[in-house]
Amino acid sequence: MSIIDLKGILTPMTALKQIGKQPHTISFPDEQKDISPRYRGFHYNDLEQCIGCGNCATICMNEAIDMIALAGIEGQAGDSGLRPQIDYGRCCYCALCVDVCPSGSLNMTQDFIKVSPDPFDFLMVPGKDNPEAKEKLSFTADLDTSLNVFDRVPMRELDPEERVKSFAEVFLGYNEEEARIEASRCISCGLCTENCPVHMHIPEYINAIAKADDEAAIKIIYDNNDLPEMCGKVCTRRCEDVCALQVRGEAVAIRWLKRYATERAENADMIAEIVNPEIREPNQYKVGIIGAGPGGLTAAYYLALRGYNVTVYEAHKDPGGMIMYGIPKYRLPYESIQKQVDYMKKVGVKIHFNTVVGKDISFDEIYNNSDAVFMAVGLQDAWNLGIENDDAKGVWSAINFLGKVNSGEPVDIGKRVVVVGGGDVSIDCSRVSRRLGAEVYQSYRRRIQDMPADLEEIEGAEAEGVHIMPQTIPTRVIKDENGKVKGLEYVRAEMISEGGGRPRPKPIEGSETIIECDAVIAAIGQKADYSLLPEHILAKLEMQKNKIVVDENRKTSIPKLFAGGDAVVSGRNDAISAIADGYAATKAIDAMLMGS
Amino acid sequence: MQENILNQLKKVFKIDGEIKTPMRIKIVADKDLVSSILLYLKNQMGFIHLNHMSCVDWIEDNKFELVYIVWHPEQKQTVLVHTFIDRNNPVMENIDTIWDQANTYEREMREMYGIEFPGLIGAKEFILEDWQEMPPMRRDFDTKKYAQETYETRPGRENARDVREELMKRSGEELPDFAKKYSRD
Amino acid sequence: MLEKETTLYLGPQHPGITGNMMIKLKVKGDVVTQAETHVGYLHRAFEKLIEGRNWLQSFTLLCRFCVPEPDPMELTYARAVEQIEGREVPPRAKYIRTIVAELARIQSFLLWYGGQSGSSGLYTLGQWSVGDRNYILDLFEDLTGARIYHMYMWPGGVRRDLPEGWVDKAYKTMDYLEKRLDDYNKLLFDNAIFQKRAQGVGIIPKDKAIEWGVVGAPLRGTGIKHDVRIDEPYEAYSDLDFVVPTYEGGDVWARALVRRDEIKQSISIIRQALDKMPGGSYYNRIPNPMKWTVPAGEAWVKTESVRGEIGFYVVSDGSNKPRRVHLKGAAYTHGVSVLEKILPGQNIADVSFILNSLGVCPPEIER
Repeated sequence: MSIIDLKGILTPMTALKQIGKQPHTISFPDEQKDISPRYRGFHYNDLEQCIGCGNCATICMNEAIDMIALAGIEGQAGDSGLRPQIDYGRCCYCALCVDVCPSGSLNMTQDFIKVSPDPFDFLMVPGKDNPEAKEKLSFTADLDTSLNVFDRVPMRELDPEERVKSFAEVFLGYNEEEARIEASRCISCGLCTENCPVHMHIPEYINAIAKADDEAAIKIIYDNNDLPEMCGKVCTRRCEDVCALQVRGEAVAIRWLKRYATERAENADMIAEIVNPEIREPNQYKVGIIGAGPGGLTAAYYLALRGYNVTVYEAHKDPGGMIMYGIPKYRLPYESIQKQVDYMKKVGVKIHFNTVVGKDISFDEIYNNSDAVFMAVGLQDAWNLGIENDDAKGVWSAINFLGKVNSGEPVDIGKRVVVVGGGDVSIDCSRVSRRLGAEVYQSYRRRIQDMPADLEEIEGAEAEGVHIMPQTIPTRVIKDENGKVKGLEYVRAEMISEGGGRPRPKPIEGSETIIECDAVIAAIGQKADYSLLPEHILAKLEMQKNKIVVDENRKTSIPKLFAGGDAVVSGRNDAISAIADGYAATKAIDAMLMGS
Repeated sequence: MQENILNQLKKVFKIDGEIKTPMRIKIVADKDLVSSILLYLKNQMGFIHLNHMSCVDWIEDNKFELVYIVWHPEQKQTVLVHTFIDRNNPVMENIDTIWDQANTYEREMREMYGIEFPGLIGAKEFILEDWQEMPPMRRDFDTKKYAQETYETRPGRENARDVREELMKRSGEELPDFAKKYSRD
Repeated sequence: MLEKETTLYLGPQHPGITGNMMIKLKVKGDVVTQAETHVGYLHRAFEKLIEGRNWLQSFTLLCRFCVPEPDPMELTYARAVEQIEGREVPPRAKYIRTIVAELARIQSFLLWYGGQSGSSGLYTLGQWSVGDRNYILDLFEDLTGARIYHMYMWPGGVRRDLPEGWVDKAYKTMDYLEKRLDDYNKLLFDNAIFQKRAQGVGIIPKDKAIEWGVVGAPLRGTGIKHDVRIDEPYEAYSDLDFVVPTYEGGDVWARALVRRDEIKQSISIIRQALDKMPGGSYYNRIPNPMKWTVPAGEAWVKTESVRGEIGFYVVSDGSNKPRRVHLKGAAYTHGVSVLEKILPGQNIADVSFILNSLGVCPPEIER
């Protein structure tokens, strides 16, 4: 290198050629930079779509997100009523909150400019403080990019051809690996707990399963449900209706997970060992319970844990009430109920079977000898079809039909059966009839999507070859000379909407059709039978539409008499509601007798 | 090649070892052997590059795990030398005479985990300044608690509510104590 | 030369320092006799905080280990978790990651151009290169939604697929940058000032380089060919053709030439990866992040960043949170022990010049 490096001095001068070129910069605010369609700017939350699950606040590692109550937004089933508020002094714009939002309400926008001398201005409620940003959504998470696992682990089940051959359980249950994967989908928000009549501790036991601690799960489950294995198999699972994941995907299989956990305790001894409940010192009070269905058993179990002397009176030879006699064994095996009741006996529940109140023992005797009485007698009478010849031989009520089959009594329904109805009980009747070897038709007045039965059950029935005849209304049973069912006449119906509400079926004139059959099973609902109660009680007991009126503590209009289950005025007729009644009555009776 | 390396080391030292991946050999040795092993790896076997030194706090077992990662530039192999020391009396031999840059790592470990390296030269303070608490990378040092006690929180966020508690309040659910640890954290 | 030794504190708020750190210099006249690195101005306890966060939450902190080049942090962490867990990464994700890693390399080199020329008084080039860097940040913005902290490469793949039109835009940006490199050469490498300042300054001896823990461009500037992308190929690098440039000398000049050549290689790698981009999925989905556990185990994973080899030592105890995530950045040796060894004998005016050429990034040292 020479002393004066001419090239080294002159070459950099080429920079001068840039003089006069347009600058790359833009002049803000006259010009706007093009912002990427994926830009991660301020959030926008669709307040209507948001369910307040708080998953955004949980994933935020900077603790920038708070869940707060907003005026005008009330909590309801499936919505906590809270909405996220974001501290932009902490937010790092990572957008994990967007990627874990189960409802897809929380997104990021192209807005990123905000100037204020007041730090509190950066505490914003997205959606409320920036409604205009709705038009500038940029970073969003669809079903494909979301971090939520929207697909449920499928439940293994018997092949339909195999199923109809026996009463073996249809659903095989999750194995350990499946349960862990399914449990890990849960985001632990707890929206489900509010919709569960008993308010089971769902996020906690699911989390215990996810953490491979099945025993903790069992203990948490038994805290307020004494028949969880039954619920794990046949619960109406209202919890899953409001699961945060169900908004855009499939709800967590809460029921199947409960089933998985409870089945880990293989017998009553194991349940006792794992649950190991705290049993209070026996006290001097006696409680009489009428009916060993889910409501009665629940009250009996939790009162026994609280030291009461509990006696249950049950008309049948086996415990369980409708879950023993009304639910087919392919859904809920006999041994499963026995196991749970055996466990209850271990903690001190006494049950007198084959004891019909009003016949073997009088109601007054129980009432007078007890400090409190809980009555959960269920609905034991069926509604008739209310059409011509509905008393013919071969016309069954669902409760009678299922009760006989479940008791193991021989039942002759012939080769072809028509089941009338659209609820879970009607589907049970159809699928049981298939297992008895009959060809099954099911008549329902409305469309299939209107059926109150669980969709899973409807699909199961169809897979087993049940022919569902939607929009058909039975008009007449046809009997032969011996008074036996020969066929069923029905008319087709069209669906009409009148002034909102759900569409109503209207018979189509002249569409009468006759279907030949050997039996007709009416599954159109049940009513209560209060013949066990003496006159003086019935006279004072407040009733509404054939059901007992109770307050929130399940207390009736008669002193120290509590009631629950299907026979009281409440929301829905299902086992979990009966359990909720039993649990609530337990607390009320405890408070009444011990003083709260 | 990896087996040769492992076998040679096993021949000379009393160690446990396994081939983790096609590029990684893990050996576990007694703490007194570590400096001899490292010296042997460097001078006899050609592992002349010290990639990394790390420490893991296994508070449950009352141990610190020290990891020395060395690399062979020709064979492209990596050996991870693991050793465990007593957490109550964390003393480890200084190796900055083998690799000078180990000095930096050791100063950081002394500060962050409280591990003593007798004979280590260098300022006591490396990253922290006027630190009075326990060495902060120890698992039992609670960063959040420290931050809450040391700094004040700006007001404005007192209206935050917990979703689960809100739902429990509304439904009347009573969560037993033994279930609480499984709630969302 | 003056006989009296004085102490000079360079930093922590000196424009010539590559971030917030301080070098305590003993000087005689204007010659350094002893140097001592002091850090502690940027300690954010990320590694401690990560131990309290779950596996996915961690990746939003990790990228902040190094401001000029966050992507290799994400990439290395993701690879470490994948290795412990045995999680497969779809080929498309590997190619996208390769492109992102190389774009990150180029943008960081462009930033380095600014620092290296600025510390020798040549400010024009810095304005240009940082301006051109914005075209790469535009690409990042389109791809990831953010310009600097992308939080894009996570365990299992990448966060979003390539947006429509992105590939064309990337090709065009590469063509533009390639043309600009000639201008850069004229302004920096042909410049007598830079040549005089860089040649023979800050020499790392070749025979000591590996032992001292020198990696990356400084190591290749001593003539030793070592690059993680070749030694332990990851992502799509084994499918792509590129050379690892080396220069003899071990001085600032050699390191600058290595970096100059590497930008060309990176442009070529990006073009090849865009050409060969496979179809299919970009993400092997992880479970619900709040309940995602990683089996017990540990991994030591290395990546070639701009500053050289960086590694993550990641330990899992089988829970939903990492037990330990420990970064070894190139600056951890370059900025402390290497620097302290090569500064004595250098001119005070060259200290920040040498710092820039070593790629010292203080947040990487103290994390």
